[in-house]
Amino acid sequence: MKKMVAVVAVSLLGLAACSSTNTSGSPAVPGEAKPAANELLAKAPVADAAAILPGSTMEKIKKRGELIVGGSLDAPLLSQQNPVSGEIEGFDADMGKALAKYIIGEPKVKIVNSASETREALLANGTVDVVFQTYTITPERAEQVAFAGPYYTSGLTIAVKKGTTGIAKPEDLNGKKVIAGANTPAIPAIKKLAPQAEIVTFGSDPECMQALKQDRGVAYVQDETLLIANAQKDPSIQVIGNPFTQDPYGIGLKHGDDQFKTFVNDWLKKTQSTGVWQQAWKNSIGTVVKGEAPAPPQIGSVPGS
Amino acid sequence: MSVLLDHLPELWQGLVVTLQLTVASSIGAAVLGVLVTAMRVSPVGVLRAMGTAYVEAFQNLPLLVLLVLAFFGLPEIGIKASPLVTAIVVISVYEAAYIAEALRSGVNAVGKGQGEAARALGLTFRQSLWHVILPQALRTVVQPLGNIIIALTMNTLLAGAISVVDLTEEAKRINLVEAQPIPIFVGVGLIYALIASGVGFVTGRLERRLVMVR
Repeated sequence: MKKMVAVVAVSLLGLAACSSTNTSGSPAVPGEAKPAANELLAKAPVADAAAILPGSTMEKIKKRGELIVGGSLDAPLLSQQNPVSGEIEGFDADMGKALAKYIIGEPKVKIVNSASETREALLANGTVDVVFQTYTITPERAEQVAFAGPYYTSGLTIAVKKGTTGIAKPEDLNGKKVIAGANTPAIPAIKKLAPQAEIVTFGSDPECMQALKQDRGVAYVQDETLLIANAQKDPSIQVIGNPFTQDPYGIGLKHGDDQFKTFVNDWLKKTQSTGVWQQAWKNSIGTVVKGEAPAPPQIGSVPGS
Repeated sequence: MSVLLDHLPELWQGLVVTLQLTVASSIGAAVLGVLVTAMRVSPVGVLRAMGTAYVEAFQNLPLLVLLVLAFFGLPEIGIKASPLVTAIVVISVYEAAYIAEALRSGVNAVGKGQGEAARALGLTFRQSLWHVILPQALRTVVQPLGNIIIALTMNTLLAGAISVVDLTEEAKRINLVEAQPIPIFVGVGLIYALIASGVGFVTGRLERRLVMVR
């Protein structure tokens, strides 16, 4: 019976990455701090009326009274729906709300759960205004969409089961089975640094973790922040070394809308100078990564931005 | 369009996996489906009940749930298979419920007198099912079986959830780099449509040859 329960529990876990039904004592979502988020939004700047140019995308959004954001509902620390309050919390989510306040005057957003397969199409056909979804800026993608930012730099790192030997750097993954999230930058990164590695992919982070624990692969390559959060919750895994890539996250915008891109970049600079950016980091990623908020990346510093 | 041509080798690999899944699961589902049908029409009450339970259980559970349950759950009780094998077995087991239902409707369509005649000739239950009832039942359900195989083909893409790199999964990987979802997914969609129309063509021809005029 116990085993049956385990089987069912495991499968539910795998199926619904986002439904962390949070009944036990310890919070499933590190950094769920609503008051802090409200404080942050109170501090967030609002654009001057003169900046909302007539006929622009900003004016259209302001008239609508709602910013439509392409995002995730199941990315811990970045953009995850709190099953209790229904609020979407995390770094990306807070930044999206802050941008909405900048344009409209109120942090009114509608999140469209955009899968990474459809982000470009959703932007191109105008379903969403912006995409805040760990959207790594690459030259290929920049041909399809415009990127404001980068607003955050992340990096991939490696997690293994405690006690695993022989893996200290990405090149050590050659000839081994490596787990990665489907549709994450980990796939091309592994192919580049360890071309002989066999990559196995799963749809969500909990599934990847389960696969690592069941020896479906010897290592799991994922964003450092996520892996640190995982390792804190689960002592049977450990994170190896420092990030081996630099993934600059950009704010996806419709291709060719230079006016809006300039506007969003201006907003980003303001969030950085007023401390809103740093506060958003502290409320989310800062709850698992030690130390002060890092220096935000230079806007326009990567090819494609 | 050029984005598809640039990635032909990967797409081909994915297509091979999709075809492997489709063919192997179709065979598995057919064998299991015939067994379940035999149970459902057998004179033994317990077997009939088991057949009914099988069909009800697998028709009422989503395939994705079964795949994830089998892949992540079974190792907890010591059964661990490769992703491809898990996918083939689970899809076979799932689709067998549908095949069994189609076959049962075919069996029901066979005249009652046929079974009685077979019995009168002294054939056992197995003999009369195998030599008299099933061949006639099959002929009446060629087209529904074809539709089930087409649905099975489309369902194989769920194997991506347990790390099988099929055609859809390859398309996602290509799109991750190229960021051109519309040409990539339209192209892959057309490949699926081609497979499906291939199945449709074969069953159409078969039906015309086998159909019985009553």
